[in-house]
Amino acid sequence: MPDISGKAPKGVLNRGWSASVDDYAIAGGWTRSGEALVVADAAGGIYAFDGKSGARAWACQESHDGGVLAMAIHPSGTSFATAGQDGRVLVWGVAKGQVKQTIEVGKGWVENVAWSPDGRWLAASCARQVCAYGADGSEAWRSENHPSTVSAIAWAGARELATACYGRVTFFDARSGEAGQTLAWKGSLVSMALSPDGDVVACGSQDNSVHFWRRSTGLDSMMSGYPGKPSALAFDDAGILLATSGGQVVTVWSFHGSGPEGTTPGALELHVESVTTLAFARRSMRLASGGRDGAVVVWSLKKNGEGGPIGAAIVADVVADLLWRPDGRALAALDAQGGVTAWRVG
Amino acid sequence: MNAMQKVPVSILTGFLGSGKTTLLNRILSEEHGKRIAVIENEYGEVGIDQALVIDADEEIFEMSNGCICCTVRGDLIRVLGNLMKRRDKFDYVLVETTGLADPGPVAQTFFMDDEIRAEFSLDGIVTLVDAAHIEQQLGRSDESTEQIAFADVLVLNKTDLVDAEALDSLESRLREMNRMAQVVRSEQADVPVDTVLNLGAFNLDEVLERRPTFLEPEYPFEWTGVYLLDAGRYELSLADGPDPWMSLVVVSDQGTDDAALREGAEWCVRRYAEAAEDIHPGQAIPVGEHVNLRLESLGRKSFFLEVDAPARLGLYAQHTAEEFDLQLKDREGSTIKEEAERTWVAQHEHDDEVGSIAIEADGDLDPDLLNMWLSELLRERGVDLFRMKGFLSFRDEPLRYVFQGVHMLFDSQPDRPWGDSPRRNQLVFIGRNLDEESMRRGFEACLI
Repeated sequence: MPDISGKAPKGVLNRGWSASVDDYAIAGGWTRSGEALVVADAAGGIYAFDGKSGARAWACQESHDGGVLAMAIHPSGTSFATAGQDGRVLVWGVAKGQVKQTIEVGKGWVENVAWSPDGRWLAASCARQVCAYGADGSEAWRSENHPSTVSAIAWAGARELATACYGRVTFFDARSGEAGQTLAWKGSLVSMALSPDGDVVACGSQDNSVHFWRRSTGLDSMMSGYPGKPSALAFDDAGILLATSGGQVVTVWSFHGSGPEGTTPGALELHVESVTTLAFARRSMRLASGGRDGAVVVWSLKKNGEGGPIGAAIVADVVADLLWRPDGRALAALDAQGGVTAWRVG
Repeated sequence: MNAMQKVPVSILTGFLGSGKTTLLNRILSEEHGKRIAVIENEYGEVGIDQALVIDADEEIFEMSNGCICCTVRGDLIRVLGNLMKRRDKFDYVLVETTGLADPGPVAQTFFMDDEIRAEFSLDGIVTLVDAAHIEQQLGRSDESTEQIAFADVLVLNKTDLVDAEALDSLESRLREMNRMAQVVRSEQADVPVDTVLNLGAFNLDEVLERRPTFLEPEYPFEWTGVYLLDAGRYELSLADGPDPWMSLVVVSDQGTDDAALREGAEWCVRRYAEAAEDIHPGQAIPVGEHVNLRLESLGRKSFFLEVDAPARLGLYAQHTAEEFDLQLKDREGSTIKEEAERTWVAQHEHDDEVGSIAIEADGDLDPDLLNMWLSELLRERGVDLFRMKGFLSFRDEPLRYVFQGVHMLFDSQPDRPWGDSPRRNQLVFIGRNLDEESMRRGFEACLI
């Protein structure tokens, strides 16, 4: 693999700390003010590291039989949820790593878990159903079976939950679970991102395209020509830029003005293998991208989607997840060998 | 950093009752030193503790372009995507499909999805066949035909329930449909693990070694007998056989060496392409013409051959002499021994639309021409092409290339050096209603 760090500016990434977990580091998150970074590995290990030093605060090796599939930090930053192959969701306290709630979702894998922005609801998908739980872990509602396994879920504000599966995106009322708007399109939707105002729904599709809808007008568009399937999508907080994976190049669509229809997207080129994960820093036009090549790149973007790298680093293996500290001053990368690497961002 | 070998995957197909679960349990319980992850689509009775068994609901995802060749198994992509993160836990994956599954989407998943393709390689497709019921199933469903057409290995199971003759005829029917596959017989899915795992994706070498006639041309006749005859009237006598009729061409001045027989065969192919004249018992058989001997009546039937001057006659018959106990007798009724005889690789006698085409040609290929030809072939016929495999020799390239494909997806990779062995291109296509002649011409046009 070419030495990407040699030719790229080190720039804004200053090595902070590194740590490791026992297996493929699959998901994680910072607590609200960055005191701790919580990480889950594929084997089911859950770990908390001190946000400043990287010292291990606690670890629990037994969470989900078969392993963890997803994780979500509660907006309060004091608890988080993990989902696993055992059909369960566990809600943990960040401080001590104790399991506060055990939720039996279903018989299949629980592949997605997400807290509503106001922290009142926890949504989880298992096979063809999505369920919502209240603050005490009790089931608020459960959807009918979708036509296929739910591939992604996302909150559209605090009042609506969106699900993606083969052929459609469906919105559910957060409180009642009643199914509302349905956006149909014949294709296997593998990823989903909603604009912060909830109007734009973007989905990566198995046929190497990104499909998006404007809920207010019902109009939809398809952006094709990706060499691979766009399994990572990220909107910036202002809802202007949508960054998409689907190959070595990060493609950035701009919703500024009348775009992105009919516009040329920004093409961010530095990765030498497929991009696996994308994350915008909060309230910022800074985007972090990670790839199969183990490269982590921070980009500074303009409103039209163009931009350039302002920092780059290499980790030991495929980048599984990139986690901005909420203040945008630190970035952590999780990799396939269980590496956890944190940088201070200048 | 991603230098790890791809994880090999076998796909196990077969109709309900063909013995998939028995075979799976057998593989999992045997001591073979492999750690196998099993993805099941039929909630079977696989109950082996040490194996990693994952149940998945078959989810067939078509693409918006409507192309069936792009159809994939969404559940597999998800499950394998997660397994990929646990690859220290297993070194082989077995996917069991439902009985009615079309193997296409399963196989295509390993070509279509970039992430899966990066981590897993399709090692082989194993199809179990219930010897007692497959004939019925073939008549009724496209899926069973496709399961046979897609296979690298055909396990002809439950052979104890069928007599030897029926088994032979079944095996030859299956071979006609898929000449690429290795056929293994078993009673209770009791086959060595090696026939199912680690097929090495490319066993064409072995297939060729096992069956040297594999790439021989096919003829519409199975047997030739050459007789040295004086002038006179001869009786051709046939007993009851497998069919109520038989095609025949009689060739005058037939030589007995292999070259002469092949020459006669080529000439007869053209006669066979002409409409046959019905000849009933008691009638004379014209020389040099395609005739259809009517054999409906019971018991031995006699036809006649009039020979004006001493001659060597070649009889090119649709079936072997043995099948109808064919005998040539002189006026006195004594049987005349043939001077030479040989059998031919018969074209498929069944009406199966699915068949195999093999192309063999020495020499080097122009990669651009080959690419153009393949692209066009796959674009036009991709839907009907189930599998293809082959070895290719490219200009200025010391390495042999292996290629394989499913429908319109294909992949070619460098293999071992040619060394001293002849640079021979060998390709096999399995598909529906394939035009052998035009494919052969198209391929040959890519040679330098």
